[in-house]
This record gives sequence, structure tokens and C-alpha cells, in this order.
Amino acid sequence: MVRAAALISLLLAGNCLLAQTTAQGTINATLDHKNGIALIFNTDAAGVSLGNSGTSAASVNFGTISAFGNLAAGVSRPVVNAANFTVRTIFDVQVIQGGTNSPNYTLRANLAAAAPTGFTYLIDGISLTTTAQTVQTNGGYATDIPHNLDLTVLTAAPGAGGPAVGTPLSTTINFTATAN
Amino acid sequence: MKKLTLIAIVGALMMISSFASAQTATGALTVTATVNGSISLVFNSDASGVALTGAGSNVATLAFGNVSAYGALGAGVSRAVGASNFTVSSPFDVLVSKSNSASANYTLKAQLNAVDATNAWQVGGVAVTNAAQSTVTATGAYGSNVPFSLALTIPFATASGTNISNAVNFTATAN
Repeated sequence: MVRAAALISLLLAGNCLLAQTTAQGTINATLDHKNGIALIFNTDAAGVSLGNSGTSAASVNFGTISAFGNLAAGVSRPVVNAANFTVRTIFDVQVIQGGTNSPNYTLRANLAAAAPTGFTYLIDGISLTTTAQTVQTNGGYATDIPHNLDLTVLTAAPGAGGPAVGTPLSTTINFTATAN
Repeated sequence: MKKLTLIAIVGALMMISSFASAQTATGALTVTATVNGSISLVFNSDASGVALTGAGSNVATLAFGNVSAYGALGAGVSRAVGASNFTVSSPFDVLVSKSNSASANYTLKAQLNAVDATNAWQVGGVAVTNAAQSTVTATGAYGSNVPFSLALTIPFATASGTNISNAVNFTATAN
């Protein structure tokens, strides 16, 4: 009986000895601090509500447009003349930065493909082509900066130089912000 | 010489490094619109008629002023006197514009806004009442002022000082 008790006692002691075993290791973690900037589109209070607002891949739908008819909310028509009419909306661009000393940024824009027949796209009055053009040279970081998006449409009939009617026409505008 | 070359190379490398570190961000905004054909109608003053109030818009006023069978009339007002009534008239212009449409011309219809059981109204020689729209022209030309005469025939029995006022509603439809 006593022998058995002693054996049990030794086993417990052994267990305690095992519990005191420790191991050590070192993880060397390296943080590679990358600087950078990011661009997103936001809906402007005075403009059309953007699809995917708050991202870098947004969409703006003017809806149905015409020289004389009603327009969707957030769309205005600043120009109507015999040759063309212009519809306008406003959208915001926000560029944020991290780890840079850049005071501001330059914003460029270009059409991803040639504009549909009868259409001209302008950002802040600058007519866009497939070649990047400077829209702004001193954009402030971390704030919504509104930009006018104008779509000038020829009034000519389809087939006579004017755009196709009754069908949605889409174009993608590519923007690039570069830290100054 | 070698030293200068070395400096130049280092300088160039620094420039390359500077360009390489320029931070950029990109975004894509897809723009969609659907164009519809449309037409508009505005009234303009005719050089031979009464000057319209609201000329250049689609809500204008033509004021004949004081009219009578035999008295003086305002500028731009003409008169024809019959056996029991007299008619005063003035030309005014209608300008209909089109956009993104292959329509060749338009039809113009007119209708009195309110019943007038006493006086007779005509536009372009076509009687206009409140009962139904009257076709004033079926082949109106776009993009130019088209003159029409607005005529109002008043019975001699009308009391002096009577104010006559009504609106003529016009509708242009692309053909």
C-alpha cells in the first residue's frame, strides 16, 4: 500500500517536472513601410448619385437626356443651341495619401475608348480624348473635390452626325492622380 | 573627366529614382446616357405685330390694349369692321426647334383655355375654341419663326370697358 502511494507520488512529481519545461523562440518581424496614394469617387450632393460611390470604379448615369425634355435629378442643361446641347452633373474625387510628403496631386483623365458619335465629354471644361489630359494640378488630399462632368451632344439626327437615340451609350473615363 | 561622368551618372540615377518613387492612383468612371429626340416651342414677337411679353419663352402674353371699332389702336394691331362686330388682330411668331430627330416638320394645334361664348378667336385664320384642338398648320417648318395672326372678333354689343382675357394653348407635334 505504501509502495503504491510512493509510486503515485513519483508520477505526480514527474508530471510537475514536465510542466516546468519551457521553450523560447524569437520572431523577427519586419515592417516595410510603403508610401502611397489612393483615389475614390464620391457622390456630390448636387449631382447624380454614383454607382459604387466610395470606390475607384464608379459609374454615373445621366439617364434620359434631350435638348428640351425633362432631366433626371442632379443633371442640369447649361447650354442649348442649334448645333448641340450640354448636360452636366457633378461628382467628387477624393485622393488620400500615406507616408508621403506630397503637398497635393495632379489629376489627369482620358477616355478609355473613342467617344460615341455625337458625344463630347468634358471634365471641368476640358474636352477629353483617349490621351490623358490634366484636369487639376494642385488637388488637395483627403477632401472631396467636386468636378463638373459635361456631356455635349450634337442635335443632328441619327445618321446625320448625331448620336444614336433611345439606347444607352456608355463610356469609361480613366483618372490618374499623381503625387506632386 | 571620369569624375564628371560619374557625377552625371549618379545624377541620372537619382532622377530615375525620383521618377520611380512618384506615387500614382487610378480610378475609372463609367458614364452612361440615353439620348432622346425632342422639340421645343417658343413664341417670338413679330416685327409687324404687338411686342409680346415673355417673348422667347413658351409662356407669352399678347396684349391688344384698348380696342374699339373706330378708335385708335395700339402699335401692331390691325382692325376689320363688320356689320355687327369688329376684329382686331396681330401677328406673332412661333418657333419650333428640334433635336436628334429626323422629323421633317411639325403639326401645330391650338385650343382656347376657357370657354368664350361672346367673342370669336382665330389663329392663322383657323377658328379656335375651347371645345377641341384646332390644327393651325400641318407642315410647320423647324428652326425658323413662323408668323401667325391672332384675331379676336368682338360684337358691337360688348359693353365699353369690358376686359377680355383668355389663353390659347398650343401644341406642336413632330411629324
